[in-house]
Amino acid sequence: MPLLHLLSPYRRPAAVFAAVLVLLLILDGGRGDLLGSSLLFSLFQMFGTVGPVALGVGLTMLIGEFDLSVAGMVGMAGCIAVMTGGDNPWLGLLIAVGIGLAAGVLQGWLMTRLKLSSIGVTLGGLLIFFGISYALTESRSIEYPNLDVADVLGRKLVGFLSIPSLVAVGLYVVVALVFGMTKLGRDLIAVGSDRRAAVSAGVPANALVIATFGFSGALAALCGTLLGYSLASAAPTGLANVLVPATTAAILGGVSLAGGTGRPGGIALGALTICLLQAGLNALGMSSYAHEILVGLVMLTIAILDGSRFSIRIDELRLSLRRS
Amino acid sequence: MSQSGTITAPAAAGGTRPGVRWGSLAMLVLRSVFLVALFGIALASPGFLSTANLMAMMTSAAFVGCVAIGMTLITVGGNIMSFSLGATVSATTLVFVGALLAWGILPAILVSLLFGMLVALAQGLVIGWFGANPIVVSIAAFALIIGIAPWSTAGTSLFLPAGAGQEVLRGKLLGLPIEFILLIGLAVLGQFLLSFTVFGRNLLMVGSSRWAAEAAGIRAWRTVAGSYLWAGLFAAVAGMLLASRYSKGNMDYGATFDYDAITAVIVGGTAIQGGRGSILRTMIGVLVIEVTRVVLLLNGFRQEWQYLISGVIILSVILLQTTVARK
Repeated sequence: MPLLHLLSPYRRPAAVFAAVLVLLLILDGGRGDLLGSSLLFSLFQMFGTVGPVALGVGLTMLIGEFDLSVAGMVGMAGCIAVMTGGDNPWLGLLIAVGIGLAAGVLQGWLMTRLKLSSIGVTLGGLLIFFGISYALTESRSIEYPNLDVADVLGRKLVGFLSIPSLVAVGLYVVVALVFGMTKLGRDLIAVGSDRRAAVSAGVPANALVIATFGFSGALAALCGTLLGYSLASAAPTGLANVLVPATTAAILGGVSLAGGTGRPGGIALGALTICLLQAGLNALGMSSYAHEILVGLVMLTIAILDGSRFSIRIDELRLSLRRS
Repeated sequence: MSQSGTITAPAAAGGTRPGVRWGSLAMLVLRSVFLVALFGIALASPGFLSTANLMAMMTSAAFVGCVAIGMTLITVGGNIMSFSLGATVSATTLVFVGALLAWGILPAILVSLLFGMLVALAQGLVIGWFGANPIVVSIAAFALIIGIAPWSTAGTSLFLPAGAGQEVLRGKLLGLPIEFILLIGLAVLGQFLLSFTVFGRNLLMVGSSRWAAEAAGIRAWRTVAGSYLWAGLFAAVAGMLLASRYSKGNMDYGATFDYDAITAVIVGGTAIQGGRGSILRTMIGVLVIEVTRVVLLLNGFRQEWQYLISGVIILSVILLQTTVARK
């Protein structure tokens, strides 16, 4: 089946990216609104915030777990950074990312130590981080007084890249290199494919789980900090703002929900696809509802294609068609 | 997703080994101590026993409670949780108000129930039949609902003029809020479904081992789809009650219900990996949430602390359950 082959995890990211681009060009209808000069810039500005979270969530999915808590961490880290980094933005960044790392490591430690499901633990984490950010801000959005920082973060630095997007691109390059060229990548895939086999082969599975959750927490905190600084304010975030794009990006990027497949490069493409969709629809002047609907449809399609019984059902269907 | 390594086997369910029995006994003691302490603080809080407070608590417990009944069924069936029930509640408030303005109260109730059931059934079929991941499907459904509902009603809120017929679903019966009486009815219905019907028995089996259930001849996808169908129905009831109470349909109304319902389910002791659970215990979870919320408010804490407390409670319940059960 050529279609399904094309959608296999390794070719999916590129195929979906191309499909979204074609879709946007069709919607544009030759008017040229889409390919204006600012599209690339706004695409990469979004990538600067979606990208790191997607990488963290994607890596936890790759090892067969799921980090729900990023949805709370982004908001909490933003609030912490904005509150502590008024005089020195680096200090705010350091504190926020440090807390993100520590919270992720703690969650990973609980999971491995007590053999708990990551869903349960990170759900607790999610609510706690939500709670802390609501309690810190009392449901108001807090202002960041240092407007120079916002200015710097929003400025084009190299071509269409700003500091947030450069950071995100750099992160992906480093992670992709480490993943592809060292033993670490193979070990992570082994942990995601078959944990027991990986452990008997000598892979330090528990340490890798803890490290991955720490990394995911730190990335979410980084994203929250950059977001808070560049908007010059921070507020608790909702589910829609973080978890939906990050999960979609990871799934589009070829990370299988069962664990063990997907690569950082694929996640990057998935995140770029989501950002292209959002930036493209903005450029075309479409409502934000259209974006939600398209993202929902794409996710649903891929969830079905990824379903553990999908191939069985298709075979059943083909058999019954042949019989009739 | 993480079915492979980390989810602990539901071995504690049977309780044949003596250690396990001691474990559940210890858990029972811990739970009782917690409940007694919580209600002690509640009774000591000024104004807790006032009629106004009790009425308000019953009403707001009804909204979360309806969603939590559905969430329990989904969780018992082994699908962990849904992030789209809150959005379903919100969308139902819009559907209800729209239908009420157009056709009157009875058609509005029917249309709302049908809407909730269809939205949830579609997810249940995708999850049950294709074996799609429940969390991703529910996040996708969440995105679809919050995209489609406001787009189709051209706005995120709709108002109901007084006297449109919504008065039937609010007010009092036998001195209690109608919402609360409905909740009791639905909870009894949910517990009946789970304990005394073939569907309930199948759901418990599918939840503890889908593979074994299918080997025993159960069509698991039907059972899973059924659990979502019921969850959609209960969520729709919550949506109608909310819209009637506030004379308004609004996409923000259900925003926190997913978290509250999940907290209620887990606090009630329904196993997060499925195969075990009860509606009545979820109702205790709802009660705990409501009492905590009110106690925080009465003692001068802002409502935002609720999330923090919920998170701590969830995490400690999950930690306690596994550590105690293993000893």
